[in-house]
Amino acid sequence: MGQPLELSHVFKQFGDKTAVNGISLQVEQGEIYGLLGANGAGKTTTMRMVLGVIFPDGGTISYFGKPYGPAQRHEMGYLPEERGLYPKIKVSEQITYLAQLRGMSAKEADQSLKYWLERFEVPEYYDKRVEELSKGNQQKMGFIAAVVHKPKILILDEAFSGLDPVNVELLKTNVKMLRDEGTSILFSTHRMEHVEELCRNITILHRSNPVLQGDLKEIKKRYPRESVLLRTTGPVEGLERIKGVTAVERRERGYQLAISEISAAKAILSAAVEQSEVEHFEIQEPTLNQIFIKEVGESNE
Amino acid sequence: MNKLGTVIRFSFMSKIRKRSFVVTMIVLAVLITVLANVPYLLDKYMNKDDQPLNIGLVYEPQPQVAEKLRLVSDQLKSPGYHFVDYKEQTSDSQLQQDLKSKKLDAYLKFSKEAAGGFPEVTYVSKSGDDPDQDVAAALQNVLQTVKMQTIAGGSLSDSQLAELATPVALNAEKAGSADGEAGAKSNEASEAANYIYVYVLIILFLMINTTTGSMIASEVTAEKSSRIMEILITSVSPLVQMFGKIIAMFLLGLLQIAFFAAVVGINLSMPHNIDAIKGLGVDITQLSLDVFLYGLVFYILGYFLYATLFAAIGSLVSRTEELGQAIMPITLMLMVSFYIGIFSIATPDAMLIKIASYIPFTAPISMLVRIGVSEVAPWEIAVSLAILLAATLLFGWLSAKIYRTGVLLYGKRPSLKELGKAMRAYKM
Repeated sequence: MGQPLELSHVFKQFGDKTAVNGISLQVEQGEIYGLLGANGAGKTTTMRMVLGVIFPDGGTISYFGKPYGPAQRHEMGYLPEERGLYPKIKVSEQITYLAQLRGMSAKEADQSLKYWLERFEVPEYYDKRVEELSKGNQQKMGFIAAVVHKPKILILDEAFSGLDPVNVELLKTNVKMLRDEGTSILFSTHRMEHVEELCRNITILHRSNPVLQGDLKEIKKRYPRESVLLRTTGPVEGLERIKGVTAVERRERGYQLAISEISAAKAILSAAVEQSEVEHFEIQEPTLNQIFIKEVGESNE
Repeated sequence: MNKLGTVIRFSFMSKIRKRSFVVTMIVLAVLITVLANVPYLLDKYMNKDDQPLNIGLVYEPQPQVAEKLRLVSDQLKSPGYHFVDYKEQTSDSQLQQDLKSKKLDAYLKFSKEAAGGFPEVTYVSKSGDDPDQDVAAALQNVLQTVKMQTIAGGSLSDSQLAELATPVALNAEKAGSADGEAGAKSNEASEAANYIYVYVLIILFLMINTTTGSMIASEVTAEKSSRIMEILITSVSPLVQMFGKIIAMFLLGLLQIAFFAAVVGINLSMPHNIDAIKGLGVDITQLSLDVFLYGLVFYILGYFLYATLFAAIGSLVSRTEELGQAIMPITLMLMVSFYIGIFSIATPDAMLIKIASYIPFTAPISMLVRIGVSEVAPWEIAVSLAILLAATLLFGWLSAKIYRTGVLLYGKRPSLKELGKAMRAYKM
């Protein structure tokens, strides 16, 4: 049996525009795989191909080693970016309907729905119509609709967009739980902090091309540590004169420094210890945000 | 197949549970009931007093004519009036007195001069209106007989007179159906029944097709605009989805037809309405099973032809507000086919309807009209059905393709060129 989800050299063209140019990736069991990219980079097209809605022009997509087929549909769950449900139909009716379309029996679907409503602590929505719910709660119902049939592969397109922090946490907890239960999740977002928290492997798409790919930690190691965070009780003078320091930024409590070589960090620390009391000193690895902007932003010009 | 069932059940149930649907059905049922009973109610209201009218018969100045009138009229079983004789010279004021005291409803008087051998007759009533239709007809008939008797003046026998009085009958007979008078008569009744039947069928065809058609289109558009389509197309193939919806609406249409048929049936089988229908010369038992079966086949094929188009159009529109405009061409096509049928029902052998019965979009109604009220060779029906079937399959296939592509296209309604491009891009 192959990986839950494996794309190899997938290629898609719309007219004379290339939408996805040779993406390859594997999602293991119990893994959240991050698919990043600016708007129009080809994330949604990639996801649609994975979902079998549109067919790739080249390359293969396999699910547990098998090609796409009706049986594979049952194993997939999808939370689209622009999610929606029937506004005038009861939550219970439409979610059991969607679960049945994914090959669940009506009874199982009902049980699963009740389980999920309990998990979100909103069992009273069972008999409510979707239009009666608040937007955040509608999104929760959308999430339930995506996972109610216990998919092995879950595709989340901007899962947390438009939610308040409490609900983001709630959804994140549930996504992690699903991961721990063994679900393979393909996850797309603009929010880098979510990726750093959730994903092991990522692919950054830029203008249809995968520009950066691999283990998040490995990627970060490849980028030089160019940032130092220093927090002291009193002011520290002469930081900008230290060799290798390219920028000094005064913060509320301390300094944010940019360095061109790692040896500068040591000099910074000793200077700080001499002049004041150090509360916090960190050589920061680059944030994904910085990497993303570097990769995507540079070639944007 | 299992999923098709799920889609059908869901679409059907969610439609039928809607309050607006239930209300519409009830309102229409009430409307039909009222309409079906209008002739009876009108009748009841107009002839509140079913008593025969009391009509004064003034003998002077034409006692012989009056006497004859009396005699002829006495032979009628229920003329709807009753003569009150005024044999002596009576003044107008006396008669008017009697009118006022309701002893009389009206009176007849003759003029003194008999121009052309027969006096003028005047019907005097309180309101001065013409007499009630039935009474007038009876009086005219009787007076005609009396006039003939008077003018013929005994030179003709009674039977000759009676023969003269009967109007010439112009019998119409269909060539080749010379099975005697009884056959001709029942033919006539069944033909009248068929006319009405065909009318009802094509009106039903139009009604059900436009309502279910726009329901299909608006459901598809609603699914698209609420974005649940994204989930649906990844769960079940668009083809299953589209045909599930179409079949669900088809069943809904059948349910509506059955419901209305039941309402009409109950109303017509009320004792008071049976007489009214017999009075129209329509015999319901004479409806031909052929027309019904052909009607069903053409209805089903025509329905699927139009429904797939409605679904395809619905899939191209992203917002519900744009839908009305988008489905206009199909609705127009339905209307055209309906009017060709309605206008040709009196001339079912005209070239227009003959041609129309081979064009798939107009064939269901046109062929039904021809089968119902004219003679159609079996091969003609076969050819028309074959064309319709082929078109239904072709457009079903095309619509399915458009649907697959259309549900993924958001934004402004795509032009044909854009659609073709998208279809190639999506490899469908």
